[in-house]
Amino acid sequence: MTDRGPSAGSVPGWPGVPVPAVPPEGVLAVDHVARWFGNVVAVNDISFSLGSGLTGLLGPNGAGKSTLLHLLAGLLEPSAGSVWIDGQRAWGNPATYRRLGLVPEREAVHDYLTGREFVRLNARLQGLPDIEAAVDRTIALVDLPDAADRAIGTYSKGMRQRIKLAGALVHDPPILLLDEPFNGMDPRQRLHMMDLLRTMAAAGRTILFSSHILEEVERLADSVLVIYAGRLAAWGDFRSIRRLMTDRPHTFTLRSSDDRRLAAVLLADPSVFGAELADGLLSVRTSDFGAFTQAVPRIARAESITLFELQPTDDSLESVFSYLVRR
Amino acid sequence: MPIVAVTLRGLLGRRRTILMILLVALPVLIALLVRLADSRMDVDRILDAMLVRTVLPLVALVMGTAALGSELEDGTAVYLIVKPVPRWRIVGAKMVVAAGLTAALVVPSAVLTGLLAGGTGPALGTTVGFAVAAAAGGAAYACAFVGLSAFTSRALVIGLAYTMIWEGVLAGLLEGTRFLSIRQATLGLAGGLSGQPVESGSLDPGLSVVIVVVAVGAAFVLGSIRLTRFEIRGAD
Repeated sequence: MTDRGPSAGSVPGWPGVPVPAVPPEGVLAVDHVARWFGNVVAVNDISFSLGSGLTGLLGPNGAGKSTLLHLLAGLLEPSAGSVWIDGQRAWGNPATYRRLGLVPEREAVHDYLTGREFVRLNARLQGLPDIEAAVDRTIALVDLPDAADRAIGTYSKGMRQRIKLAGALVHDPPILLLDEPFNGMDPRQRLHMMDLLRTMAAAGRTILFSSHILEEVERLADSVLVIYAGRLAAWGDFRSIRRLMTDRPHTFTLRSSDDRRLAAVLLADPSVFGAELADGLLSVRTSDFGAFTQAVPRIARAESITLFELQPTDDSLESVFSYLVRR
Repeated sequence: MPIVAVTLRGLLGRRRTILMILLVALPVLIALLVRLADSRMDVDRILDAMLVRTVLPLVALVMGTAALGSELEDGTAVYLIVKPVPRWRIVGAKMVVAAGLTAALVVPSAVLTGLLAGGTGPALGTTVGFAVAAAAGGAAYACAFVGLSAFTSRALVIGLAYTMIWEGVLAGLLEGTRFLSIRQATLGLAGGLSGQPVESGSLDPGLSVVIVVVAVGAAFVLGSIRLTRFEIRGAD
């Protein structure tokens, strides 16, 4: 294991499992990248760059998520444009794999090896100086010490995912690419993996993971990349993306000391074009998120109404995603 | 070297190993039967027919295509490819293992078959010649098939067609194709080492060495270039 500086702490809920700090230098850059297979355009003129943090890669099946991850991992040559990893071209440059860890979606792992042997293989191929220490640390990190000496062929799907992650992490890469990393994991394993990824991102790593489960991305990612039909539909914090969807009204629920009167006065505000009081809950629709959130406290104060709660109801990643893919 | 070790583990699966041992035991069994029946059979003829023409290419084909091709096919090769390791080292390691295992299987088979058919008398030279030639020819075959599997997922079928059609039929009909036949090079080497040509019109031993070296070298260079540009597609 290479020394990358002081420890950034341990995985929450997993005391004694250290996550080494990484200098914030992991950067992925994609510059007008396209990739086609015959007449099929899998990825079409995509550009973005990612620094440290957790980014979720979202898109319907067949949108081009895996193709994009494979382009980033240097496993596919771009038909146009270029992919950069820390300033070096990803394609045809094995040296970049010192700084990159990849967890592919395919389940296949060398079934005849034990988990420990598989992680050791990865460590030896990375040319690490203290192989056994790196192997032990990584196996503990993915919470597989009890099964490490069993053949991978006997592993469950979730265990396979974790041993694949261990193989990708053994050299402490500052950049991690994970293709559907939560596939096959039980809820406990999922939570552990989420904690682990959060801690690693907080330690300065650049992590890009694809998932088709919106809830996972919403809970985990600092920002999202939304791919649809091979194109980049949106990129950034999904709540900010939601704010930009001005052609779709925002809905808020409110609780106050006088919901009926609040509804009446809010309807007079130009940013509000609908209010509904049902089951003791006031719902208001507005076209302007910013103007509305500024107007509500001002109006409530002017009317001497006490505001208990103001909650956007369609500010979820699901609403953003369904909006983007239906456009 | 980790790639050599993991390839060895992969190739020495129980089913494949048993199958290969049964295959290389075939010429030994036939020689034993001939000996038990007290019949006479020339050592060079049995080694030519049973080992060089049949067992050797089949063993090398299975080992050569499985060493790299099966990992590319099932997706486990990605764990070797996404490492800071030059691709020629991956190809080289696969070739060393495939050639080594082929030799480890066919050389004992050649020696036992030769000893059973010809004993330790004057035929011993022929036996040794064939054993050494089988190791060299096996290396050429195995490397060629490792290289081929970097180019196509149908390496097994193409390799089979090469040994059965090209070498089995065309090389006998068209004199010129002998220079592109590993089998002919193996027989040329065996003839040279045992002191008498295996058949009339056999290749010169020196030329046979050149063919074996060119086959190994070309497979290594082309396979490495191909693996350097090898693409792994995603699920979408």
